[in-house]
Amino acid sequence: MCYGDHYRRQLSMELNPGLNGSLTPPPGVGIVHVRALGQNDTLHFLLCSHGAPALLLVHTNSTSSSLQINWNEFLNRSTAGSVRVAPQDSVQYSRALVLTRLWEYDDVNDTADPNKTDPSSFFPPYELASFTWDDLNKTVNLTDHTVRLCGKDSAETFNSNSSFCLLFSAYEGVGREEAWPALLHNANSSQLRLWLDRVTPRSNASRFLFELQSVGSPRHESRVDVLKSIDDEYTPSIFQVSQWVFSPPNANTVMGYTQWKPVAYRKAAPLTEDATPCKHSPPVAVDQASPSGLVLAYFGKESRTFGLNMTFGIKDAPYYNATYFLSWTVLVGMGSPPVEFFSPLVMAIMAIGLGAPLAFILFGGIYVCVRKRRAEPSGYEPIN
Amino acid sequence: MCFLGFGSYFCYDNPAALQTQVIQDMRLTTSKFMQLYAWYSWPNVVLCFLGGFLIDRVFGIRLGTIIFSLFVCGGQVIFAAGALVNHFWLMELGRFVFGIGGESLAVAQNTYAVNWFKGKELNLVFGLQLSMARLGSTVNMNVMSHVYSRIKDLIGSTGPSTLGVSLMIAASTCVFSLICALVLGYLDRRAERILNKEQGKTGEVIKLTDVKDFPLQLWLIFIICVGYYVAIFPFIGLGQVFFIEKFDFSPAQASAVNSIVYIISAPASPLFGLMVDKTGKNIMWVLCAVVTTLISHMMLAFTFWNPWIAMSLMGLSYSLLACALWPMVAFVVPEHQLGTAYGFMQSIQNLGLALIAMAAGAILDNKGYLFLEVFFCACICLALLAVILLYLVDYFRGGELNLSASVRARLLKSSSSDSE
Repeated sequence: MCYGDHYRRQLSMELNPGLNGSLTPPPGVGIVHVRALGQNDTLHFLLCSHGAPALLLVHTNSTSSSLQINWNEFLNRSTAGSVRVAPQDSVQYSRALVLTRLWEYDDVNDTADPNKTDPSSFFPPYELASFTWDDLNKTVNLTDHTVRLCGKDSAETFNSNSSFCLLFSAYEGVGREEAWPALLHNANSSQLRLWLDRVTPRSNASRFLFELQSVGSPRHESRVDVLKSIDDEYTPSIFQVSQWVFSPPNANTVMGYTQWKPVAYRKAAPLTEDATPCKHSPPVAVDQASPSGLVLAYFGKESRTFGLNMTFGIKDAPYYNATYFLSWTVLVGMGSPPVEFFSPLVMAIMAIGLGAPLAFILFGGIYVCVRKRRAEPSGYEPIN
Repeated sequence: MCFLGFGSYFCYDNPAALQTQVIQDMRLTTSKFMQLYAWYSWPNVVLCFLGGFLIDRVFGIRLGTIIFSLFVCGGQVIFAAGALVNHFWLMELGRFVFGIGGESLAVAQNTYAVNWFKGKELNLVFGLQLSMARLGSTVNMNVMSHVYSRIKDLIGSTGPSTLGVSLMIAASTCVFSLICALVLGYLDRRAERILNKEQGKTGEVIKLTDVKDFPLQLWLIFIICVGYYVAIFPFIGLGQVFFIEKFDFSPAQASAVNSIVYIISAPASPLFGLMVDKTGKNIMWVLCAVVTTLISHMMLAFTFWNPWIAMSLMGLSYSLLACALWPMVAFVVPEHQLGTAYGFMQSIQNLGLALIAMAAGAILDNKGYLFLEVFFCACICLALLAVILLYLVDYFRGGELNLSASVRARLLKSSSSDSE
């Protein structure tokens, strides 16, 4: 199968598919389903706020695969298999990204490195599974294929203005968002932007870290590749891209990925100096049951979980209380991650810049030669 | 006398040496940061014409030097005070006042040199002065961040006051230069009394009406000058953070590699000067320099190769260009217009620097380093185009810009024998 730059999918978005009137989910619990229909395959994206927020991606090789949810069982968290994509044998790849915890630590020595921070400097983490989430109904945008999920902890550090939010976007084809980091996306990817807004830090030198989990087939291996890129046109002064890729054992093919640039922003409408670097810890295997209702319902025990922490800031970078804002963006997709290339504008400038002098050399050179040649026959020197 | 310019060169690149600190402490965008360079250049768009006139007619060389040193000193103090009280506009004002003194001081320095050493070791003195200036820039690049971190340890935190104190310490080099100016003035007056000679004059006569008579070649030289220098100085102003972010250099390493251009040009300038004098063929040398700079900018833009290579190349080509480009002016305009031509060249160079410094900051804030480098490459390409045109125009008009030194000497001999 080939997905070129012009590959496009037909998107349809639905909130709580298959939920009938007799059943009302608890406030804040819901599933957003995006069906991305390709020429001979279908992608299913599911964003769920039942427990810890999770984004599930299922790739099927059929154009008629459908999502089936047994809402009663799903809401009771009783059985695996209450959320499934049918027909089962059309499923090629499925993987979920779960946001489990927000950690906060008192960076008194200003190292911005949790490994060098005394465990006693860590505050009790915010469990995203116990957050109260806002109603998805109000934030889902069926035409733009986006949905915003905001929630807060019951602790008093979350006041009426504070929130932790996710903005999910699904895409029909190649493009990029205007807001930094302006990651390149394609028809096989979706984007999650996470931000932590106006939470009262529990110390004057607080820094945060996000704990992420990736759940998928027990056979798949994971690794994080950090690639260097000379192209920082769309994300000024960032020359790296990190991708957490998943592949079958002993194979080079990449089945799916989670891609990000190592940068977070300290303002909602950032300028370059509001950027702050972020670093990931190496992925490790996790044994505990997933805090996400969707993951339990879809995978059950037939899965393997990797965990990874994302830390923000470096030494001397301002603490959270400088702006009371932190945002980070990640791309989730199947197949190989998109690769950046020079923009047409850059190529045009270089082509004209180098081409024009070369053309002048060429034509100037030819003209000079012709003049010299013409001058030659009569050009003997008279002998005095 | 060589130390006269040390202070102003030391402080000119203070912002570049403390780029991260200035941006962080004053909470600036990069484009605002680059305004510090633009404000230095603005007064010089005009003063390049007036500097010589002021020295010759109004102040005299001694008083002029002292006044310009005072401007440099005062400018740097205002600049530092602006950081201390955390007012950015005051810092900009400081750079403006500093700019008023800076370039004119260089003119005064040259006048002293000509006056004292004419007919003796003038070239050597010029060479020494240039080396001293480059030394000032280099020392600044490598020392200022250390000074800053020392002050940080003393005060205990970063912030505008840390920055202000560091810049005040930098201002002491300007005071040193001011003392040099006073001593020079005293010595010069004593020499005048003892040797009974006149006060030095720049000898520059600027007539703006000459501009309309400038030949096409001169305009092309102007384009080369602007296109080339705008891709060097603003780049160095922004270089430190670039090397940190793209090549993972430590701040100290980044400053070091940023200053290599100046370090190389100190010894290379006299050598290249000799080489160009011996061989002639100025246009070819300029072409060489521009192409090499283009290559080094492209290396920085499109590869992760160690920037020491690219920056060393840039240092070499920068020195070569200075040696080959500036003397060409003398070949294309008559001697009585030389002052105007050079003044005009410096003036539009400063205009270009001011505009491009602001543009570069804005580009970096919105489009990143790759685009900035491509923009600098485009500037160099424009210079390259002008070099090629200059060669063709010179060829068809039978100019002598690209003649080898031996042919030039023969021409000179025949024309002098003609006139006999």
